[in-house]
Amino acid sequence: MRTFRTIVTTALVGASVGAVSPSHAEDINNQIQQLDQKVRILERKLEIADENAKAAAEKTPVAKADASGFSFAAPDKSFEIKFRGLIQQDARFWFNDDENPQSDTFLLRRVRPTIEGTVGKNGEFRFTPEFAGSSTTLLDAYTGYKFSDAVRLRAGKFKSPLGLERLQSGSDIRFIERAHPTSLAPNRDVGLQLSGDLVKDVLTYEAGVFNGVVDGGSADSDISDDKDFVGRLFATPFKTTDIDALRGLGLGIAGSIGKEEGSGTTTGLASYRTPGQVRVFSYLTSTNAADNVLADGDRTRIAPQLTYYYGPLGVIGEYIVSSQEVRKDDQTTTLDNDAWQIATTYVLTGEENSFRGINPARPFDLAKGQWGAFELAARYSELNVDDQTFPTYANPNRSVAGIQSWALGLNWYLTRNLRSSLTYEQSAFDGGAAKGADREDEEILFARFQVSF
Amino acid sequence: MKHTIKKTLTVLTAALLAVSATAKDITILNVSYDPTREFYDEFNQVFAAKWKAETGENVTIKQSHGGAGKQARAVIDGLQADVVTLALAYDIDAIAEKARLIPKEWQSRLPDNSSPYVSTIVFLVRKGNPKGIKDWGDLVKPGVSVITPNPKTSGGARWNYLAAWAYELGRNGGDQAGAQEFIRKLYKNVPVLDSGARGSTTTFVQRGIGDVFLSWENEAYLAIKEFGDDYEVVFPSVSILAEPPVTVIDKVVDKRGTRAVAEAYLNFLYSEEGQELAAKHFYRPRLASVAAKHKQRFPDINLITIDDVFGGWQEAQATHFNDGGTFDQIYGK
Repeated sequence: MRTFRTIVTTALVGASVGAVSPSHAEDINNQIQQLDQKVRILERKLEIADENAKAAAEKTPVAKADASGFSFAAPDKSFEIKFRGLIQQDARFWFNDDENPQSDTFLLRRVRPTIEGTVGKNGEFRFTPEFAGSSTTLLDAYTGYKFSDAVRLRAGKFKSPLGLERLQSGSDIRFIERAHPTSLAPNRDVGLQLSGDLVKDVLTYEAGVFNGVVDGGSADSDISDDKDFVGRLFATPFKTTDIDALRGLGLGIAGSIGKEEGSGTTTGLASYRTPGQVRVFSYLTSTNAADNVLADGDRTRIAPQLTYYYGPLGVIGEYIVSSQEVRKDDQTTTLDNDAWQIATTYVLTGEENSFRGINPARPFDLAKGQWGAFELAARYSELNVDDQTFPTYANPNRSVAGIQSWALGLNWYLTRNLRSSLTYEQSAFDGGAAKGADREDEEILFARFQVSF
Repeated sequence: MKHTIKKTLTVLTAALLAVSATAKDITILNVSYDPTREFYDEFNQVFAAKWKAETGENVTIKQSHGGAGKQARAVIDGLQADVVTLALAYDIDAIAEKARLIPKEWQSRLPDNSSPYVSTIVFLVRKGNPKGIKDWGDLVKPGVSVITPNPKTSGGARWNYLAAWAYELGRNGGDQAGAQEFIRKLYKNVPVLDSGARGSTTTFVQRGIGDVFLSWENEAYLAIKEFGDDYEVVFPSVSILAEPPVTVIDKVVDKRGTRAVAEAYLNFLYSEEGQELAAKHFYRPRLASVAAKHKQRFPDINLITIDDVFGGWQEAQATHFNDGGTFDQIYGK
């Protein structure tokens, strides 16, 4: 700009001096000087405006709206609030349900707005209600503080750190319903948790004290004085190495220990459901207190777990054994129920698979001939109820002793935020029908349309 | 057991030694206005050496510079200044009133209204003074381009504005309306409003804009020192006694445990050594012995005071610079 100005000035002065009288030349020279000042002033004003804009940007909150949600943040992110959401519209179609008729139905499976954010650089909070179902419930509500990458404190209601698939976000699970091990893992619980990286990118931990909940359960308060201690170690030992085929391998072990004492109003024991969410196992209950089965002592869970991701391939596997001392009148015993699953998924369109879901490389756009990402999924899963349970603690003609389920799924990720899924799942049962017969197989086709951000 | 006790004592001793060692490194922040950069660069080094010699402690003085009004707002908004050395008392009053970080009587805690050095406003013109600018009256002539920062953000600019107002009041026999019209004409000749004095120096000296720069005396001499014969200083018939005040920020120094060093830092400004440094950087020293030594550098001119002409900074601020004040009325037109 300055070079241009100098050339123009020189040219004009030169031309004018050579072509006109001295007084006229002086006038022209003055005009050029004035123009030169005007240009300089305009340049300086732009410079100042630029400086002011930069200074203002340092103080102006940043509003963001993108695939990860909507947020407002201080320029240095020390204060931030994010609005996120998950809506799942499901359909369930039952086949071969003559003996145990079920209604084909559309339903809202998850409707969860979330407000989360940071307060100061290290404080965090999250609030998530659940609007799906017959009543509104408080799903997550916690506050936390990050002392360092190795020490993060969280207090409130959130997922207890035990079941692998339970810890996977509801928006990222690959089948419409989670597998049987999740039936034995605690869901949301209220307590205090420390977590962090023991070795960055290699070993993480979670350790907490919670009220304690029944298998698969959530609660807002405790039914007894005793508390559950829950811990989990998860390693990705090759994540930082150059061994491509092993970088996505994760191995973990989780466990919990606590006590539970049931009462006449709350037994402290769980019931178990099929993939179609039909209750097929429950302990005996009666209006006669002596016939009620109650939790009565130690409750422990152990859960080894595995994940593996390599390119478009993904595998998760987990096993959980849940042991609970129970009592019926004057009879007591410890019942060990266990469950396991192995599931694999493959992204047909080649995107990188991960525990946190798929980000389509070519988001759905008909005009551009893009269809998003497609993923195939297959799973086998079992739940086994302790043999000692029958007939003292559960009715073998109404409660199953085992479930074996296999499932096939197809997931269509239109965009990072929109997903459509189909899952066919078939379950066979041990017992659970009259005269000791096996309950009729459950065959169900699930469909889902999901929006998450 | 004995070994355990011995080990524990060793570890504790080492820890205490480590804590003691780190305790000797102190950092304080001086939040100042634009033209004091070079002065405090040197002053801080001299003070740090003196403090080290006297106490054995390493002190690092960090500096922050900008328009005085902006700097005061930054302290009010939470900038952890141990001391402030600003262009005018009003901005420090704001820290006392709005953030309550210092007592309202802060200005009586140090000698000379807490202003260890003074300055005034002069004219910096281009070599040969091509527009023949000699006094304030020349600034309102058509075709004269005047560089001065924005008085809403710059302390120096407020001194400029009030000096011009005082000149016209003196000339017209106290006619406030006439003074306002004079100021309006003057700002009509201002093509660019920078937010601070240093920005205006850039505009005038480095960008080559304007015929005259209303400048702190020290800033004018600094420009001449750096750019030599390209500029001249013109002393108007009347100017204003600018008293840049200083204070410790009590709540910050007490929280950080830096009161002793912060107070010593400011007291050193009043010492002969500190005053010599101020004079070296073209600030008028308060100490008579040092002032006498540098008499030739700082010619006597007729200096009015804020208290005499405007009733103090609070009144001057309210009348002229608050939102809706005379500056807004003038510059908005």
